Amino acid sequence: MANSLRLYLTCIRSTLEAAMCLQNFPCQEVERHNKPEVELQTSPELLLNPVLICRNEAEKCLIETSINSLRISLKVKQADELENILTKKFLRFLSMRAEAFQVLRRKPVQGYDISFLITNYHCEEMQKHKLIDFIVQFMEDIDKEISELKMSVNTRGRLVAAEFLKQFI
Amino acid sequence: MAAISVHRFALCITCHSWSPDRSMVAFCPNSNEVHIYRLSEDKWERAYVLQKHDQIVSGIDWSARSNRIVTVSHDRNSYVWNLEGSEWVPTLVILRLNHAALCVQWSPQENKFAVGSGAKTVCICYYELENNWWVSKLIRKRHNSSVTSVAWHPNNILLATTSTVGKCRVFSTFIKGVDTRDSDAGASADAKFGEQILQLDLSYSWAFGVKWSPRGNTLAYVGHNSMIYFVDDVGPSPLAQNVLLCGLPLRDVLFISERMAVGVGFDCNPMVFAADESGIWNFIKFLGERKTSSFSGPKYGSQFSEAFGKFYGQSRQGTSNNGGENSRHLESVHENCITCIVSLEESGSSSTRRFSTSGVDGNIVIWDLENSEDLLEFL
Repeated sequence: MANSLRLYLTCIRSTLEAAMCLQNFPCQEVERHNKPEVELQTSPELLLNPVLICRNEAEKCLIETSINSLRISLKVKQADELENILTKKFLRFLSMRAEAFQVLRRKPVQGYDISFLITNYHCEEMQKHKLIDFIVQFMEDIDKEISELKMSVNTRGRLVAAEFLKQFI
Repeated sequence: MAAISVHRFALCITCHSWSPDRSMVAFCPNSNEVHIYRLSEDKWERAYVLQKHDQIVSGIDWSARSNRIVTVSHDRNSYVWNLEGSEWVPTLVILRLNHAALCVQWSPQENKFAVGSGAKTVCICYYELENNWWVSKLIRKRHNSSVTSVAWHPNNILLATTSTVGKCRVFSTFIKGVDTRDSDAGASADAKFGEQILQLDLSYSWAFGVKWSPRGNTLAYVGHNSMIYFVDDVGPSPLAQNVLLCGLPLRDVLFISERMAVGVGFDCNPMVFAADESGIWNFIKFLGERKTSSFSGPKYGSQFSEAFGKFYGQSRQGTSNNGGENSRHLESVHENCITCIVSLEESGSSSTRRFSTSGVDGNIVIWDLENSEDLLEFL
């Protein structure tokens, strides 16, 4: 189980190392503007082929690169209804505070749970391998967080139910 | 180790250029200004600040003989600066571009300069004496994407350009009244202004960093697909060679001599390429020292290190933890991508021993090949 996670993360790490070669590039369409080309999608020559890395049907990672920006979209494993709700709420909580994370995108790409947008400015301010470490660490932590949340919901439910039903004994 | 001097000038450097006597360096610290620093008694002090552009300055070139600086910026403007007394006086150049300018280079005779732009055109600017004005002529056709890099052939007429479609093109830039028809320049000198001599479709990804060899026999440029292309006999039937790199793509290349070139890029380490006697180009070595460590810090068990990580917090500036994960730390001189490489030798010389590189980490590093015996045979 842990083995396939390691392989998945190593694969994502190597792809990101190759994809995160970004540079400052002014917009070709609008003068004096500098926009992330991966969001704009107007000039096909500036975009690279997107790479989809799937661990299984439920978990995958889409990496789209362009000349000045990179978009990473993740789909997190959601086994049942409860995990579905927990994931959605937790990731929405993070996305709403995207400014604090700097590289997080406010809305996930269609079909995914959470997205990162890394531009050349982030690569200039921060070190590339630290950014990659952050993304990979995030992916590891998400799984743990969701399971912890699920466990605490179940525990709390059990405690509350036990207390409530005590009055009927 | 071939790096002889490292200096951190700013948080991030876009491009740089040296003065003719190599005592001053002009660079853009990722802003709309150009800073000129002078080396006096082993210390760098800021001599001038050129402030005229509105957006980031993407290209600087300092002419060697006429001591003029040309700067181009993402705000579609270009200025030629002349040193009058103790001030640098700008002269606006009407580029007639409607998008950002990406790169600039003085021609070998310094009567023209070429600007590559995001408007999918190349501007050739020359000085018109009657109006005391820099005038531009545009090469409008052919390019269907941004022109990322330009390079002049030593004969002052041919210009090579690379663009984000991966094509490298050679144009003739003969301008009546500025250039003279040289009888021994060959057939390429008979072409009109803006006529395309050659188009190379070798790269299927973005192309950057085109340069001619000192005598103009070989053309080199890099592609984002981690390849570097060498083209000999530029003309009707060119001979092209690709060299595949083992690492990340390059951004710029410099010819050290006719048979040796240095490429710099996202690996943060200059790579040396050389041609053997039969003309086949190969990768020789990295110039900077390169240590790869699997992770820094003491080895803990995985659970313990995770708890450690949570305890001390994992920040971007912190040292990396996490047993088992390889975050490769390239212990090279530059900490981030190298974007620009410039020769420190006198212009027009056939071989260069010293050159400087600048990058996104804000360092300007001067390299000297004097002590590298294995490379001297190629000089």
